Order: sequence, then C-alpha cells, then structure tokens
Amino acid sequence: MAEFDLTTRMGQYLDRHLVFPLLEFLSVKELYDEKEMLKGKLELLSNTNMVDFAMDVHKNLYPDQDVPNSLKEKRSHVVTELKQLQMETDLITKIFEDPEVIRQMQSSRDGRQLSDFLYKEHGFKAEMVETLYNYAKFQYECGNYSGAAEYLYFVRILLPPNDRSYLDTLWGKLASEILMQNWETALEDLNRLKEVIDANTFSSALLSLQQRTWLVHWSLFVFFNHPKGRDLIIDMFLYQQLYLNAIQTVCPHILRYLTTAVITNKARRRTVLKDLVKVIQQESYTYKDPITEFVECLYVHFDFDGAQQKLRECESVLINDFFLVACLEDFIENARLLIFETFCRIHECISINMLAQKLNMSPDDAERWIVNLIRNARLDAKIDSKLGHVVMGALAMSPYQQVIEKTKNLAFRSQVLAMTLEKKMNMKDKEAVGWGGHE
Amino acid sequence: MSRFFKGSDSESESSSADEEINIPQKPAVTAKAFQFSDDEEETRRVVRSAKDKRYEELRTIIKQLRNKKNIKDMCAILSDFENLGKAFEKAKKVVDKEGIPRFYVKILVELDDFINECWEDREGRKQMSKNNAKGLTTLRQKLKKYNRDFEQDIAVYREDPDLGDDDEADEDAAEEDSEEEEEEDEPTVTYSKKSEPKPQAVDDGDDSDDYWNMSSGEESSSSEEEGPTDFTKLTAAYFLKKESDKKEIKKKPKKEKEKRFIKKDEDEDIDEGGEWEEVTKGAAAPIAEKPKMFPKDTEVNHEAVCKKLVEIISARGKKATDRNEQIELLKELLTIAEANNLGAGIAIKVRFNIVAAIFDYNSNIATCMRPEMWEMCLTYVTALLDLLTSNLDIIASEHVHDESENLQTPPYRIRGCVLTVVERMDEEFIKMLQACDAHSTEYVERLKDEKTIYEIIKRLQEYLEGRATTEEICRIYLHRIEHTYYKCDFSLAKENVEIQEDSEKLMDRLCKYIYAKDVTDRLRTRAILCHIYHHALHDRWFQARDLMLMSHLQDTIHHSDVPTQLLYNRTMVQLGLCSFRCGFTKDAHNALVDIQSGGRAKELLAQGLLLQRQHERTPEQEKIEKRRLLPYHMHINLELLECVYLVSAMLMEIPYMAAHEMDARRRMISKNFHHVLRMAERQTLTGPPESMREHVVAASRSMKTGDWKACKNFVINEKMNTKVWNLFPHPDRVRDMITSKIQEESLRTYLFTYSSVYDSLSLHTLAEMFELEKQVVHSTISKMIINEELMASLDEPTQCVIMHRTEPTRLQSLALQLSEKVGNLVENNERITEIKQGNLFYQKGNRDRDQSYQQNQQNWNRRQNRQQQRAY
Repeated sequence: MAEFDLTTRMGQYLDRHLVFPLLEFLSVKELYDEKEMLKGKLELLSNTNMVDFAMDVHKNLYPDQDVPNSLKEKRSHVVTELKQLQMETDLITKIFEDPEVIRQMQSSRDGRQLSDFLYKEHGFKAEMVETLYNYAKFQYECGNYSGAAEYLYFVRILLPPNDRSYLDTLWGKLASEILMQNWETALEDLNRLKEVIDANTFSSALLSLQQRTWLVHWSLFVFFNHPKGRDLIIDMFLYQQLYLNAIQTVCPHILRYLTTAVITNKARRRTVLKDLVKVIQQESYTYKDPITEFVECLYVHFDFDGAQQKLRECESVLINDFFLVACLEDFIENARLLIFETFCRIHECISINMLAQKLNMSPDDAERWIVNLIRNARLDAKIDSKLGHVVMGALAMSPYQQVIEKTKNLAFRSQVLAMTLEKKMNMKDKEAVGWGGHE
Repeated sequence: MSRFFKGSDSESESSSADEEINIPQKPAVTAKAFQFSDDEEETRRVVRSAKDKRYEELRTIIKQLRNKKNIKDMCAILSDFENLGKAFEKAKKVVDKEGIPRFYVKILVELDDFINECWEDREGRKQMSKNNAKGLTTLRQKLKKYNRDFEQDIAVYREDPDLGDDDEADEDAAEEDSEEEEEEDEPTVTYSKKSEPKPQAVDDGDDSDDYWNMSSGEESSSSEEEGPTDFTKLTAAYFLKKESDKKEIKKKPKKEKEKRFIKKDEDEDIDEGGEWEEVTKGAAAPIAEKPKMFPKDTEVNHEAVCKKLVEIISARGKKATDRNEQIELLKELLTIAEANNLGAGIAIKVRFNIVAAIFDYNSNIATCMRPEMWEMCLTYVTALLDLLTSNLDIIASEHVHDESENLQTPPYRIRGCVLTVVERMDEEFIKMLQACDAHSTEYVERLKDEKTIYEIIKRLQEYLEGRATTEEICRIYLHRIEHTYYKCDFSLAKENVEIQEDSEKLMDRLCKYIYAKDVTDRLRTRAILCHIYHHALHDRWFQARDLMLMSHLQDTIHHSDVPTQLLYNRTMVQLGLCSFRCGFTKDAHNALVDIQSGGRAKELLAQGLLLQRQHERTPEQEKIEKRRLLPYHMHINLELLECVYLVSAMLMEIPYMAAHEMDARRRMISKNFHHVLRMAERQTLTGPPESMREHVVAASRSMKTGDWKACKNFVINEKMNTKVWNLFPHPDRVRDMITSKIQEESLRTYLFTYSSVYDSLSLHTLAEMFELEKQVVHSTISKMIINEELMASLDEPTQCVIMHRTEPTRLQSLALQLSEKVGNLVENNERITEIKQGNLFYQKGNRDRDQSYQQNQQNWNRRQNRQQQRAY
C-alpha cells in the first residue's frame, strides 16, 4: 500500500517535530523496512535538540554499537545551553509567576497595555521578549512542548503584531499545541494564524502561497482531531478560493483529506459534492488515489462496479493514513450510502442481490440495511420480496404539480403588493389633506 | 543612380567629410583640414544639400532627355523639356545664388542644336509620325522662347564648349574610376586583392591619384575649395592627377570620352540597376589600393584605425553618404586592421560598425533588405559572434562609454551590444519573410536561414549566460523561446534519438528563468504565452490549461500591446485545438469561440488582412497591419480551426437543441454554428457536400436524427481527411476520438428526440444501435437522469430504461409557460413599485442583479472559464 502513502509528500510541508507522529504511525503499520524508518528518524532528529530520543533511536538501529560520541557531546552542549538560557529567563519567569501579573494578564487582553504595565511595575525590557522567544524555541527543539507553548503564549501577547518574529511565534505556538494534542487551543491558534496570513500582504505572491500551503498541512492535525474539524476543513479548503488555489497549485494530494471529510460529513454532503467533483476532475491528471477515484467513478462515470472496486481499495488506504484511520468506519458507511443513494436516483427497480454485491454486503445484511433506510424515511421505496427487488417510489413531478408550485405564492405576493400600494395611496391622500389644511 | 551622381557632383562646392578625413594624413594640406572642420562648414553643408538635391533632379531629367534624344522621340523630349523647366524653376533659389549651372546651359545648347538639325532635315521630318512632328514643332517654339532667357549663358558656353566636356566626364566619374584604371594599365583590381596585406608599389603620382580616387569613391564629392575655377571639373578623374600631372589627366578623359560614353550606355543596358553595379565597382577600386586609406608611410596602428573608423561612421546618416560605399569602406578597414594584426578589439569594433551599416542600408523601415545584403549580414554577425566567443575576456556592452573603450590591449572594452544586433537581425529576418510570397521558392530559401539564426541566437545565449545582466539574458531567452515555441518537436516522435534537451525542457528552463527574473511585464507575458502555446502544441493539455488559468491573462490582455494580443489569440487557438485533440470538445469550443465568432479569425491571428466593407483603412494603417503579419511558416491553418470549432459546436449544440425543442426561450451555444446551419437551410437545392462547412452541416443534420453512422461518414471521409484531419500530428487518434464522441452525442440526441415515442428502451438495443459498450450507454443515460435531462429511470433486473411519461403535452407545456409568464409579471410589478417608491437602493440592486444575470446567460462560456482562474 506504500504507493498511496503520502508521508513523504506531506513531510516537506511539516515541521520536523510534526513528522514524528507520522513516522511513529508508519512504523506501527510496518509499511516500510524497520531499519530505514529508524534511519529516517535519526536523520530527522539530527537537527533537533532531542538528543536522548536520538540516542534511543540509535540504540534501536544499531544494537551492537555504542552511542557515538558526537551525540554525547551534543547532549552536554545542549544541556549547558539550556542552563544558560534558563538563567537568562529566570528573571522573566519570576515576573510571570507573580500572582498580580497573572491576574493582570488575564484581565487585560491588550498586549500594549500589558507590556506597559510590565515595563512600569517590574522593570521589564524589550529585549526580554526576545530572550523569552529564544528560550521557547529551545524548549521546543528539546521536545518540551508544553513549556514552549507557555512561553510562546507570553511572547505572542507581548509582541506587537507587526514584529518580524510574530508570525514565527504563532507557528511555534500552533506546533506546540498540536504536539500536546490540545485541539481546542490549537484550533484557536490556527484561526489566529490564518487571520494573520490572510491579512498580511507578503512581499511576493509566492511567499503567501507557501505560507498557505504550510497552514493547509498543519491544519490537518487539527481538523481530523477536533470534533468540528470536518465541517471546518470543507469551509477552509473548498470554499476559500485562496486555499483551494494553493491546494490545486502546490499540493493536490490534500484532495484526499478534503474528499474524505466531505464524504463523512452527512449534513452538508449533498451540496458540497458537486463542487468537490469539479475540483477533483480538474486535478485528476496531477493527483489520483482510490478515494478521489471513488468519487469520480460515482459522480462522473456512474460506474458502480468501479466505485465498488475503489471502495475496497479505499479501505486499505484509510487504514494506513495517519489522519484518516480514525474515520474509517464512518467513511465506509457513508460511501455505501452514497452509492446506494445515487443508484436509487437512477433506478426504478433494483434486485437486492445485485445491490448487496455492489455494496460489499451479504444479501441479508443488505436487505436489513435497506429496511432500516426505508423505516427511517430516508428512502421512498418498497421491497418486493417475491422477486427480491427494491422498487422505488415515483420521483417525477407531474406538470400539474409544477404549475401549482409555480403559481402557489403568486397570489400572496400580489396581495402584498396591492397592500403596499394601498398604504402608499393612503399616505399620499393624507399628505394632500395635510397640505390642504395648512393652506 | 541619384546617389552616384550626387556623389560625383564635382562642382558642388562641397567638401566632404571623407575628404576631410583623408587630408589629415597628408601633411601638405593640413591647413585645409582645419578649415573644413570649422564650424562654418556646418552651415554650408545645409546649402549644399539643398543644391545637391535640385541639381540631382535636373541631372536625372537631363539624362532621360539625352536618352530620348538618341531615339528621337519628340513627344517624350517635349515632356522632359517641360519637366526640366519646372525643375529649374524649383531650383531657382539655388541658381540665384550659384549662377546657372553649366550643365544646364549645355543641355539647352544641345537641345537647340538637335532641334535645329531635325528641323533642317526635311526628309526625316516627313517620315516622322504625326505625333512626333507635332512635338517637334512645339518643342522648337518653346525652346526658342525659353532660350531667350539664357541667351547670354548660351553664348558664353558656345564660345568655350570645352569646359562642358569635362562636365560630361564628371558625370561618368565613377565609371571612369574603374575603366581608367584598366586603361591606364595600372594593376587591375579585384576583390580578391582585398586580402593582400601591403600596398603595391606605385609611383608617387599614382599614389596620389589613387588617394583621390579613393576619396571620390568614398564620398564622391570633392571640394570647391580646390580652386574656384575648377568647379566644373572637379571630377574624380580630374582630381586624380591634379597634383602630379594636371594636364595629362585632363586630356585623358577627353580622349576617352566617346569611348566611355558608349561603354556607359552599355553598362546601363546590361543591368538595369546599373548604378549599383557601377558603384560597387567604383568602390572596389579603392579596396585594391587599400594603402590609400592610409598613406603609405603611415604606420597602421590602433589610433589610426580608430580615427579612420570614426571618420567613416561620422558620415553615417547623412544624406550625401552612400551607404553601400560605407559598408565597403568599413570592410576595407577591417581587412587592413586584420592584416596589421591589430587584435580582436579592433576587429570586433569594426564588425559592429559594419553590421550597423548594413542595417542602415535601408532607409525605409517598411521594406526589407536585399538577399545579398542579408547574407552578408548573417556572415558578419556570425563572425562577430565567433570572435566574441573565442575571446571571452572582451567586454562588449552598451554600458561601456566611448571614452572608456579599450581597443588596444586586453582586456578589451568595446561599446556595442551584440544582443541588440541580433535582435535587429531577427526583425529583419521577419521582414524579409513577410516580403516574400509564401508559396515561392524564394520563401523556402529564406526560411533555410532560420536555422542559422536559431544557431546564432543559441550561441549568443550561451555567450551571454553568466556574463550579461539578467535583463539581457531574459531578452535573449525570449528570442530563443520565440524561435522555438511554434515548432513541433519531432524528435519526440522518433523514440530512439538521443537528444540532450528536448524542446519541452528547454522551454521550461527558459520560461521559468524569465518568470523569476523578468521585471518588465511584457517579456513575462510573452514567455507565458509561448510556453502555453508550446504545451498545447504537444498535447500537454493540462499543463497548458493550468498555466493559462494561473497567468490571469484573460483579464489583462486587453491592456497589452498588439503583437502580444496577437500572440494571445494564437495561444488561445492552439489551446482550443489541443483540447479538441485531447477530447475536451467543450473546452475547445470555449477557447475558440472568441476568435471564431466574429469571422475575423484571419485578422485576429495576423495571418492576412481582411477586406473590410464598412470602412476603408488608411494606407498607414494598412502598412502597420501588414508589418504585424506573421510569416507563413508560423500560421495556423484556418480551415482546420474552423472545422474544429464547428465540430465541437455541433457536438454540443445538436443534443442541446434536441433537448430544448419545446422550450420557448432557448439560447444558442454557438451563434456561428447556427449561422452556418441557417445558411445551409436557405439553399434551395442541397447537393452532396463539397466544402468543409457543408460536410459539418450535413453531419449535423444526420446527427439530429440520431444517425451516427451517417454523421461520422460526413465528418470523417477522404475529403475531410485531406482537408483537415491529416493536419493533426496523430490523425488516427483524433478520428477515433471524434467517432466515439459522435456516437455518444448521437445517443443523447436520439434519446432526447425519440424518448416520447418509447415507453421503455433496452440498454442492449441502444448499445448495439450506437455500437457503444453497454457501460458507456449506462453511464451516459445515468448522467442524463441525474441531471434531470431525461425523465426516465433504469430498471436494473431487465436492463431497460423506463420512460416516465413526463414530457408535457402541448397543453401542459403551454400551461407551464403561462405560469412562468405570470410569475414574471408579478416580479415586474414588484420591481416597478419599488422604483416608484423611489427606493433607489433597491432599484439599483435589482438592476445590477438583472444585468449580471443576463450577462451570465450570454457569455457563460467565458464566465465559466474565468471563474476557474486561480490565484497563487
């Protein structure tokens, strides 16, 4: 199933630290050679300060070798640096530990007000923000995400939004929250970051494209873990032109996640699908996987056998996808429903056996499933059990009905119109009278 | 001709720049040189040029007159004489200043003699035709009257006609130059001698003779300053010997006069452009005597050559300058420089100037170079490039100032931009192609040079890469792109051919560089368009489409210059053809509709001028438009274009018409297609189709009835193959595509048209009827059902389409229409009350909505296209 694995493609748009969960997931799935996975991890760790983790990985990779000295050196180096930074920030942390400051911080939402307060009361200096930022970054690199998030929170409040590193702060905060799996806060941070990116006019279109691409990728973590995520992902990816463009130009593979989100979203599926199909068709030459192909089969070619085939493939793709593994059940169920729904719209009479085969179910299950659908009034149909058929109710609207539909509210509208006119006339009359009286 | 005469016009007071050039090298006359470089000279020059012009005019007429005199065509002589009088009137101003020119008097005398002679010759007069006789009489009277004004001058002249003889000689100056030399048994001169490095040993007299000869050849004007009395004799020949042996030479021309005269006539008879030939000869003479450029004892060094170069090119652009000779002179200088091993710096500098002189050759920008010139130009540019590439340390750019030039020692710094030279060359090439008839062998001959030019551009690009500014690199890249984009890469067809970089990669590399580095929007726009064109040409539809959408050019193209708009049109057409080949007929239609709808495709693609009935275009406008025309080898076949458009329109329109037959208001997808259909319907008698258009119309008719086979046979047959389909790179693939499309669309049309007749239709039967796979039939019908185009549903167990009897009866559809109209009425009422209420805001809002709605209907094609655009 490695051919549909997107980790390598996604990796280039993610932070090092964000790739670890993906790699962990992959090593559990055993898609790739264990050794290579470990090597990849080690490579990934080389630029971070998570030396202990790196040592572990090294031990796993080469059980018979000692940990190389370079790592040990690095460790001591990191430790000393950490200590030094800690010393530097000691003063600042103390300020923030002051209960009054905390109170002030919670009460005042405005960064300027707060920093004024800090400057005045606690001898806070402008450079301190930078120190704090550096410390937070170091913490993050060491893998201490909660610490990083905490400090970055302060930095964000204290930094003016036009500062150079403001954006970096936001990215760092988002990454930390994601890695700590605080989805609620992560979503907040995501929205804040999005606002900044949308509002900010970067020097070049290319730069904003890049920023958006990154945001699209990072947001996957949030959207597929946050309960409301699947609604939001549609809003952001499909209906915000800028993000859709970014996806189409740079990373069409995101369509997989978008498609999955659409299919598993019961409420909005109908309206959204048409737009999605358009996008998928447009991009079909650059990106294709069983999930998008499933949609294409179903809504472009009306090839139910093909859709069925693809659905089976989808299953294996979803199992091996870090983000989508959670919604496997949901996806399969909804995909079946989609097939059936489309089928019903086209057909008048379907044999249950065939349907069962198309839906990848046993005939009995299929019958039960249909019965449930009918009972829940989602379907206007009857089962002819003698022939083993499902017979759809009449769908077409007769011309009589159409005429009635069209003319139904005309009377009411005309009445309203007449009334307003009448009012108007009365007003005029009054006015005329008024004038007359005056004279 | 005129140039030549003008040049050798010896009596003009006229010093020439060239003369002044020569003088400094002759210590004896340095004083004079100073005189010339005086400021005064400037003013005098203006006078002379006016005079030159008038005299030249006179001379031309005189010459014609003499010719006619020889054949005794009295009528012509009369009219010439009248012209002469007029021209003389014009020249009055000059004449007042200078006195009546001697040659004028002379012709009067000659004419007088001639007429008297004729008049006397009664026999001859009787034999004359009536016209001629009449002419003679009139002429005689007129001349008599006219000559009265000049009596005095004529008398003077008659006294001393000798002087006049010289005058004549002077007219033949250039010829003399060469002839004389031959006759004088001087070493004969040929071009081949050019390469001889050193002056031939000649005696002093000859030397100076050659020197003067040279000078007259160069600029062919000499100076009055030599002595006021000489002013009639300042012929080249005269000058030649003046210093050493005046008399002898003076006689010589006289002696040879007769002979020369004949010879001259012969010369002119032999080739009509005689004067050109002669001048070249005249110029050839000095070449042989190269030393004359520099006096024998002068050391030919950098300063001398530079100085000389400056002298030569300072004559550039002046009226009196013979451009041909300038080229020759520069060539000569180059030979000398090379012979003396003055290094690459000088060689390059001179070559720059030669090429510039060649470009200067044509004063009119509308006309093109002559082929010989062009070939010369090519060789020189190539040589220039050779030199530059072999001496990489040379800095040649337009940013080098004249003062900071360094031609002597490496590192050389030279002012001159090879890129501009090549750009200009490219322009000339297009002009030459425009001037040729596209179906002549001449065109083919010229087109062969395309390869050379491409090579030059390629080499220049390699040369510039890494040493020029990004801006310049962008420019040369664009040139290479523009020479590449319209060519189909046939190396792709042959799979086993090894090439280091196919055109796709090349285009990609060059264009991306321009996208990244270009600052002028124009280059980028052009590069994008060429890139799209190239993608489209090679059937890379998706890339081409995405690039087009990403470029957002649809919105801004109206603000760009005309050639770019033309390129845009070409690109859209190519995009349309590409999408057609790839089977996206709808996109093909959308891309082509703008070009095709006005019926002005030819003009929009710059492939020819259209005859406009409404308004005549002015000659200037026509000229401009002609200059924009593309050379034939870049054309897109218009018939192919129209056919593709019509076929894709047919594939969309016919099913649509079938589906909406009952609709009261149905809109047209393609107006052009409807127009064609209507035109065909109007014909009283329809024979078997002949033209492409008739074929498509016939096909549409059969498709209407769902007869796909007939439709296919009309679209794809021998005639259409040769006319249209075989023009595609893979005609078979296209034909297959068209066939399957026709099958599908015929099926749809069939279902729309006949569904009311059926209660149920078997999928099997349909599949058989249209020879489609069941899968395809199923999916087509499913699509129609889902889109609610077809009121039916499938019966899975029996594999049938069951029609729902929903097609309204006549009454029902009328009722539906009525209800719709009532609805509209109510809506209108509401709107009107809103307006009456004076609620401006509502009113405005409503109107806007309405308009946009209408627009949507009208240009939905384009709209859709635009909506698909992407931002970064």
